[in-house]
Amino acid sequence: MNAGGFAGLHPLVCFIYYAGVILLGLMLAHPVYQLASLALLTALLLLQRQGRTLARSLPYYLLVGGLFAIVNPLLSHRGRHILFYMMDQPITLEAVLYGAMMMMTILAVLLMFVSYRVVMTTDKFMYLFSAVLPQTALHAWMTLRFIPLFARRFRQIELIQRSRGIDMRTGSPVRRLKNGALLLRILMTWSLEDAMRTGDSMKARGYGTAKRTAYYPYRMDRRDRATLAALCALLLLSLAGWREGWGLLTLFPRMEPIRLGTLEWIHFALTATFVGMPILFETKERYRWKSSRRSA
Amino acid sequence: MEIVAAQRLTFRYPGAARPALAEVDLSVRKGEFVVLCGAPGSGKTTLLRHFKRELAPVGELSGCVRYDGSPLADLPDGRAAEEIGFVFQHPESQIVMDTVWHELAFAMENRGYPQVVMRQRLAELSSFFGLEPLMQRSVHELSGGQTQLVNLASVLLLQPRLLLPDEPTSQLDPVAAREFVYLLRRLNEEFGVTVVASEHRLDDILPLADRLVVMADGRIRHDGAPGEVCRRIWAAGDVRERLYVPSVARLLAALDEERHDAPGTAGSAAASSAPLPLTVREAVASIDRLAKDRTRTSGERSEGLPKTTDGGTNGQSIFASPESLRQPASNGVSQLRSLLRLKTGQDAEAPREVLTCRELYYRFERDLPDVLRRLSLQVREGELLAVLGGNGAGKSTLLQLMAGLRKPQRGKIAVAPGRKLGYLAQNPMLYFSSDTVREEFARTAEYAGYRGGAAETEIAHWSDAFGLGELADRHPHDLSGGQQQKLALALALLPRPDILCIDEPTKGLDPDAKEAFAALLLQLREEGMTIVMVTHDAEFAARHADRCALLYDGEIAAAAEPPLFFGGNYFYTTTVNRAVRHRYPNAVTAEEVLCRWTNDAARS
Repeated sequence: MNAGGFAGLHPLVCFIYYAGVILLGLMLAHPVYQLASLALLTALLLLQRQGRTLARSLPYYLLVGGLFAIVNPLLSHRGRHILFYMMDQPITLEAVLYGAMMMMTILAVLLMFVSYRVVMTTDKFMYLFSAVLPQTALHAWMTLRFIPLFARRFRQIELIQRSRGIDMRTGSPVRRLKNGALLLRILMTWSLEDAMRTGDSMKARGYGTAKRTAYYPYRMDRRDRATLAALCALLLLSLAGWREGWGLLTLFPRMEPIRLGTLEWIHFALTATFVGMPILFETKERYRWKSSRRSA
Repeated sequence: MEIVAAQRLTFRYPGAARPALAEVDLSVRKGEFVVLCGAPGSGKTTLLRHFKRELAPVGELSGCVRYDGSPLADLPDGRAAEEIGFVFQHPESQIVMDTVWHELAFAMENRGYPQVVMRQRLAELSSFFGLEPLMQRSVHELSGGQTQLVNLASVLLLQPRLLLPDEPTSQLDPVAAREFVYLLRRLNEEFGVTVVASEHRLDDILPLADRLVVMADGRIRHDGAPGEVCRRIWAAGDVRERLYVPSVARLLAALDEERHDAPGTAGSAAASSAPLPLTVREAVASIDRLAKDRTRTSGERSEGLPKTTDGGTNGQSIFASPESLRQPASNGVSQLRSLLRLKTGQDAEAPREVLTCRELYYRFERDLPDVLRRLSLQVREGELLAVLGGNGAGKSTLLQLMAGLRKPQRGKIAVAPGRKLGYLAQNPMLYFSSDTVREEFARTAEYAGYRGGAAETEIAHWSDAFGLGELADRHPHDLSGGQQQKLALALALLPRPDILCIDEPTKGLDPDAKEAFAALLLQLREEGMTIVMVTHDAEFAARHADRCALLYDGEIAAAAEPPLFFGGNYFYTTTVNRAVRHRYPNAVTAEEVLCRWTNDAARS
């Protein structure tokens, strides 16, 4: 919980940021914008010490994204700039660019989710959820709790039952299946019995006697509010620019030049500031600790 | 001024032959600390549940429950939820949420408290309970004691006036149980919360209680100050009821009785009407008084006789037994050492070992610390070995290694050839997969490899031995705790193991069931079985084990016969031993003390 940097902000702020990133990532389609987003997100991940996770999963991400980049020009032959012919099929610059942009969109979303998982823990998400729908959130919470609970209980049952010769790992497939079903049955009876007690405990603690509220361990402070306002303003401006057609590279029927206009540069700067906002907090956090160590 | 009262309360569960409560009249005053005790089925939980409206069982009801001057039924829902708090027996199954802070907030969220109120209450209560370091933890990482603390705290956040813990410590280890009980007393004293607790382990809670109510067959048998009620129970002479009397009180009652049986002391019957002592402190004082009494009377008797030694006038030296004169308690350590050396010398001709653990190392995962480190332990043929140790010391893990459920990373476990191992886990729920006890037996027999007639006879043998015959058609989950324990044990015994490993068998058992269980173990050992038992229950180990071993820091720190083992301990010992250690350092059970006391009496 002792999260500094961007994760130390209020969950709502973080959530708005990630929602904004995914929205912009899907809507803006311009190589300059996308390259900048990818660079900023990578920098953010490195600052969040996710370099190792990134290195591990990047090959898969590239594989998925690369598939789009390669398949698109093979299937689509629209466009005026023919680069070369492959098996009598024209490969156009437009199709290649379009494929590359699709790849970058996918990569941006995937990278964003790496950071999202680090910052927005289930706790924080459920908290936001429960502020809107306390009752539904409670049920979701309880259901989520059952998954690790069942897994833990099942391991216990498996250990004990193996000592009695009831094992899922040995014997003929039929026998394994039979034993597995038996283990599940033990888990179910035990858990149902337990759930009845949990029900009693909920009733005893006033469940259903009033309209539920949700306790928040998080509080909006001034920094959260300021950041939230800044993020919202940037996002709205960026979206307004998108309606003007900025941040979109028209490929068909005629490809427009890749270079940005003056107003588009401003729009680009706003969008980049939005995507790069967490970097500000992460670097600040790092610098603070470095400088305090120096002065100590 | 009463806060809650049952008036001629009679209740019958649907389909039950006898009423669970029969014309119960009980009035609890504000600020009282009441302990309800009784055998399972005596109606104590039923009565407690009637005090908490949301949990009142369904059935035939007459009479009424009044709360704060008006019928409980008329209390608004909100007040009923807030002012009456209930804590259940099983720590884990009460948990609804998965982090500690969320579990604590759960009750307040249900009541729709505003954020400000929740924050304030949570802050103050978590610091009172010392829960701050745990707030962000997952509830599954907590120990049983900590979980029960969270349960209590969650209820207290609603600021109840009446607290109803239902056997709250039965699933906890003794240390956590004692802490929990002291916390209840603190809440009672410092916040004026009225407490009505049901409990069958009375040693810890009774000295703190204002009032003890003993129930049997749905009726109140005794009601009064704890010491007084204990005296009455002892005087009534019901063997089963006497088991509920705390061990120090039992010891003093027995000593007192013995004094009255002795010739020439019939005159001083007045002392026996005093309440029995409940704490070690009171017990020490009472024993001293009794000893002095006895010296005086024996002095009177010997007045006519010529004095043999001049030490006779000094009560203390007369009373002290020859052994304890030779080995004063202050010299206990060296005495112990010499005795231990003596014992290890005897090991050569001791019965052979059936199971040997040699330098075991075990850890759950590569990155986790070792649970067991260089652990060596020998189990001898036909003995009952009790392994004791703190929470999380690795006792259960050791047992699972011995039973072959897990494999050590290093070291070796050697089982004597031809010996079969049996294992019984702590939680009987892990065993039950069938709808009836009969099916459960049949399935186990099938897996144990019995065919045809052999299975029938084996099942008949064990279900008779354990008295499970009449329960054959019941669902295993509908049995009482003690019965479930018995059934699980019978299932473990069905393949006829030679060495039985049992994990915490006495946890949650009432004294009566515990006695029955001890008798069962004795019977099994007479049939030649070797038993290794992991337990927290020092009293049980002291009375029934042949040898005790202390698991500490991943290895066996000490292993010896109970008198030696417990006699050397200051904290990890029986209450009786604590009360008499300055007289009989090695006496750990009331029986031993009584025996030596009588010998002393005969000598004087």
